[in-house]
Amino acid sequence: MNELRDLLDGVVADANAVFLFSPSSAEFERFADAEEPVVVVGPENAVEAESFVELPIDFTDLEGRIRFGIEGALDKELVEEGDEVVCVSGFMGGTANTVARIETTEFTPSGVYDLFVNSRAEPGVVRDVFEVAVELGKKGQKGKPVGALFVVGDAGKVMNKSRPLSYNPFEKSHVHVGDPIVNVMLKEFSRLDGAFVISDAGKIVSAYRYLEPSAEGVDIPKGLGARHMAGGAITRDTNATAIVLSESDGLVRAFKGGELVLEIDPEEY
Amino acid sequence: MQFGFDWPNFIRTLFSPEGTFVISLLVLGLGILVGFLVWRASREFMRELGVPETVEGTPFERTARSLGTSTVGIVSNLAALFVYILAITVALNIAQLVSPEAYWTRFTAFLPNLFIAVFALIIGLIAGDKARLVVSERLRSVKLPEAGVLPELVKYSIFFLAILVALDQLGVETMALLILLAAYSFGIVFLAGLALKDLLASSAAGLYLLLTEPYSIGDEVVIGDQQGIVQEVDMFVTHVESEGKEHIIPNQQVMQSGIVRVRD
Repeated sequence: MNELRDLLDGVVADANAVFLFSPSSAEFERFADAEEPVVVVGPENAVEAESFVELPIDFTDLEGRIRFGIEGALDKELVEEGDEVVCVSGFMGGTANTVARIETTEFTPSGVYDLFVNSRAEPGVVRDVFEVAVELGKKGQKGKPVGALFVVGDAGKVMNKSRPLSYNPFEKSHVHVGDPIVNVMLKEFSRLDGAFVISDAGKIVSAYRYLEPSAEGVDIPKGLGARHMAGGAITRDTNATAIVLSESDGLVRAFKGGELVLEIDPEEY
Repeated sequence: MQFGFDWPNFIRTLFSPEGTFVISLLVLGLGILVGFLVWRASREFMRELGVPETVEGTPFERTARSLGTSTVGIVSNLAALFVYILAITVALNIAQLVSPEAYWTRFTAFLPNLFIAVFALIIGLIAGDKARLVVSERLRSVKLPEAGVLPELVKYSIFFLAILVALDQLGVETMALLILLAAYSFGIVFLAGLALKDLLASSAAGLYLLLTEPYSIGDEVVIGDQQGIVQEVDMFVTHVESEGKEHIIPNQQVMQSGIVRVRD
């Protein structure tokens, strides 16, 4: 047992900060007198910690969660670049069973925190669209996999860089993502070709849009199709965020500034 | 009860004490029969009028259902109960089991008022919810949280009226309440009108802009001396963006200065 204890001691030695992922209040209490700053990361600040990073979506994979937590803490200047932090998190459905030591410069920021918090659109809107895409990816349309492209934010510019493929079913409607009816509606409309355009405040401006950005200098992984290319390119030309559900591999990807910032598997949520 | 003249005494002078007792029993029996008939007739009557369908789905009906009854049941039971109590009191008066000056006689006089008060409350509750439904149905096309206040306002005003009528029936002095309300509403309307003048004007304009959409997101417009692309239209403001600057223009100003749509 001594070797194991030594190993753990080695992992936690001289850490600059402790990250607790969705801790229970008992766990949080235990760290109340800790010397290191304690940062709580979770969907809500249930323990009323001073340093808190909100998780907008329920990351099931550990890396995504830790990445988001650290990027959020860096952005809020709760930790500094180069700090070594210890993350206490739940893994494989458990709670607080994993301890990981990570140097905050070890990874290049993927912009996942940026995606939710510093997007042009409101964070809640980005999250809602994400949830719709994940839901759509999970269930598909009548059991068949579907693809979808949502362009969120900067809607005025996006509308000017796209043209309608057909009549806009959302014209003169006041539907916002997050309305209960929207999931069903978007599911039905997802068999239409083209992109959904969603405004900063979450209003669904249009469906059936053919995006016409210039695709120069857009760097997306090879092998992704026209939908991803269009989504990636429009985010380079405008301040929008594109959330793309792939028809072929069923993954949900988010683009910002012409780059892929987040890739998740709907089946894991 | 106001009988015109003293019926119980009149009956007592006509019959022997035993006779009076029998009469009072008869009155009691008749009361129970009439009560039952009233119960059945009011049920039938309300069915004929289609009351069950009308009240369907209102919170009051749902509460009644969860208690194992229904609006129709409650109202008809109330009517029957009213007749029963009336019969019992009259019988007691005739038999003179209680002194006529007792509390009960005054209670009898009070009974119709009480009945009307309860009835007014029930109608008020149902009508309020119904009105809220109708108004919100009308505003269905306006998917805005701000518009959700209106149906609630209608509902509570009707509740308030019903409570006023009920209290009035019970003999509570409602004048003070009314004056208080008037003062309050005047104060609120006056002050709110003063404070929210611009917001109100903007929201009225916003309602028009949202319903008719003379311009929509993505259109290039000139409003006043701002030219740009519309990014967002909500109840109070319009966001117009040009060259990295986002102008947030009150809708009132949009209506005043008019809109130029740039098409080329």
